[in-house]
Amino acid sequence: MGLTPYVIAAMLLILVETAVVVWLLLHRAAGRRAQRVLEDRLLFETLLAELSAKLIHVEAGGIDAALESALRRMVDFLGMDRGNLDEYMDDAPGIRVSCARPGIVELPSILAAEQFPWTADTLRRGGVVRFCRSTDLPEQASTDRASYDRVGTRSHLSIPLRAGGPMLGVLSFDAVHGEHAWPDELVERLQLLSEAFASALERKRMELSLAQRLHEAGRLRQELTHIGRVSALGELTASLAHELNQPLTAILNNAEVAQKLLDAEAPNIVELREIMKDIVADETRAADVIRRVRVLVKKGELEHSPLDINGVVGEVAQLVKSDMASRHVPMSLELASGLPRVRGDRVQLQQVVLNVVLNGIEAMREANGRDPALAIRTFAAGAQSVTVAVEDAGPGIDLRDVERIFEPLYTTKREGLGMGLAIARTIIQAHGGQLRASNNAAGGATFEFTLPAAGNPRP
Amino acid sequence: MTGTAPTVFIVDDDASVRRSLTRVVSAAGYRVHVFASAQEFLAREPSTGPCCLVLDVRMPGLNGLDLQKALADAHHRAAIVFITGHGDVATGVEAMKAGAVDFLTKPFAGKDLLDAIQRALDRDTRALDTEARVDEILQRVKRLTPRETEVFALVVTGMLNKQIAAAIGVGEGTVKVHRARVMAKMHAASLAELVRLADAVGVIVPRT
Repeated sequence: MGLTPYVIAAMLLILVETAVVVWLLLHRAAGRRAQRVLEDRLLFETLLAELSAKLIHVEAGGIDAALESALRRMVDFLGMDRGNLDEYMDDAPGIRVSCARPGIVELPSILAAEQFPWTADTLRRGGVVRFCRSTDLPEQASTDRASYDRVGTRSHLSIPLRAGGPMLGVLSFDAVHGEHAWPDELVERLQLLSEAFASALERKRMELSLAQRLHEAGRLRQELTHIGRVSALGELTASLAHELNQPLTAILNNAEVAQKLLDAEAPNIVELREIMKDIVADETRAADVIRRVRVLVKKGELEHSPLDINGVVGEVAQLVKSDMASRHVPMSLELASGLPRVRGDRVQLQQVVLNVVLNGIEAMREANGRDPALAIRTFAAGAQSVTVAVEDAGPGIDLRDVERIFEPLYTTKREGLGMGLAIARTIIQAHGGQLRASNNAAGGATFEFTLPAAGNPRP
Repeated sequence: MTGTAPTVFIVDDDASVRRSLTRVVSAAGYRVHVFASAQEFLAREPSTGPCCLVLDVRMPGLNGLDLQKALADAHHRAAIVFITGHGDVATGVEAMKAGAVDFLTKPFAGKDLLDAIQRALDRDTRALDTEARVDEILQRVKRLTPRETEVFALVVTGMLNKQIAAAIGVGEGTVKVHRARVMAKMHAASLAELVRLADAVGVIVPRT
């Protein structure tokens, strides 16, 4: 044997060297692969962290946009053809955020469409549904399989979204053009992300219901003041009909005479002109009545603008004038000049004046030995505020009632809702003012409210 | 202007309604007097010719129904057409029960008002005729002596001369003379006519 120990040693060395080189080569390849895997992994983890953070910190108004952007980035990252985020409220579909490559049909709502009974069932029980091919689906999912095939889904993953309570929605991904495996590790990471999605959905829902409740409360308040105005107007119906029918009567009769005049051989132009002038004046008058009523009946957003309080009071006085006349209640107006403007809602302040005036008229409904009279006065209360006082000659306020009269649903009238003064006080307080009641030394009661002048900070 | 043209009084506190109604009513050929309040109307010179009243229900101070009552209490003949801006049934019933001719709810057409005015004037004319006739009969009654008045009152009750003579303690012949004078002074051609006259003025003297 010509093999010397040297040769053996050399061969061994070569062998070892080769092995080392091979190992080294192999090791490097593995390292690169590992590095790529690591890099991918890092990218994915970064994306998950970023999206989770975004979804958790986004402001209420930006939740929809954040959900959509997060879904899109997930779909892109995973190389999916379609992604859906469906919100469900007790199985009824809520918002849907979807993202699909061009030409990809939409996936029907999994829980609502009844085309995916097995998938829906699995999700409801908290399970994740995943398959690389639809043939991976179990026997009992045949309906689902046919449905997935119909919409071109080859691989699919859907994760139920929960945030500690009932299912809020479903996050799903579909591959249409290729197949996609869903290793456990990936699904676990995606489940973590799905929690961020769920918490965003839940927050949105909570804030929505909070906003709804706030809105509802605001709406109720408005509705209530509106009802207050309408019912106050209801008490004035007879007077308003009277107010409106006066000009209408004049117009109708004037027009008839005008027609007759026109039929004459030589129409009396002077007379006709007079008549036309009267008709126009009465039309303006009728329109004014309607406008005043419409303003009070209209439901609207509150406006806060600088107001001349005398104008507010004057309009109401016009409205109630004929009602007072028919009840034989003389009304006097003492409106101070040069008052500062107040900031507020014209309609609401008119409503307060109307309520207080009607209250005063009502108080004098039954004879009490004094001549009925109602005085409305405006005056400056210091340099920074304005007072409106309505003084009646009724029986005055029973001391036992003096604080309760402003409580809602408290009434001493036979036909009262008991809301008028309560609403009035609420309105005045909302305007930074105060509504008070007191008895006059000479009998009767005075209701007065003070409002800060416009431009002054509220006390 | 002839003195006999019927007069329409319009009482309404609304100036523009007053003006338009005045136009409509004048155009129909009536004399029109307008008043802004019931008090103003009551202060006017009483009218002698046929007239009627167009009266607003709802007015400050004395309202339409108050005025209607005041006129009735003063035994004034008043043919009233009520007009109202807001016709509620109760007020309408009250007004009609108290003798109103019509009750119009504003807004109404001129023709409706003129029809109502015509009915009111017809009624007033009839009332005026009756008033005039009663007046004339009363003038005749005034010319009777106390004894003749007594005989007149008994004759129209259907008593015979003999019974009247016994009742007032005179002879039957005297009753006959009184009775002839009553017939003459009252311009009655028959007993039946005398009874009608008595009925018209309501002369009923209780039996003594």
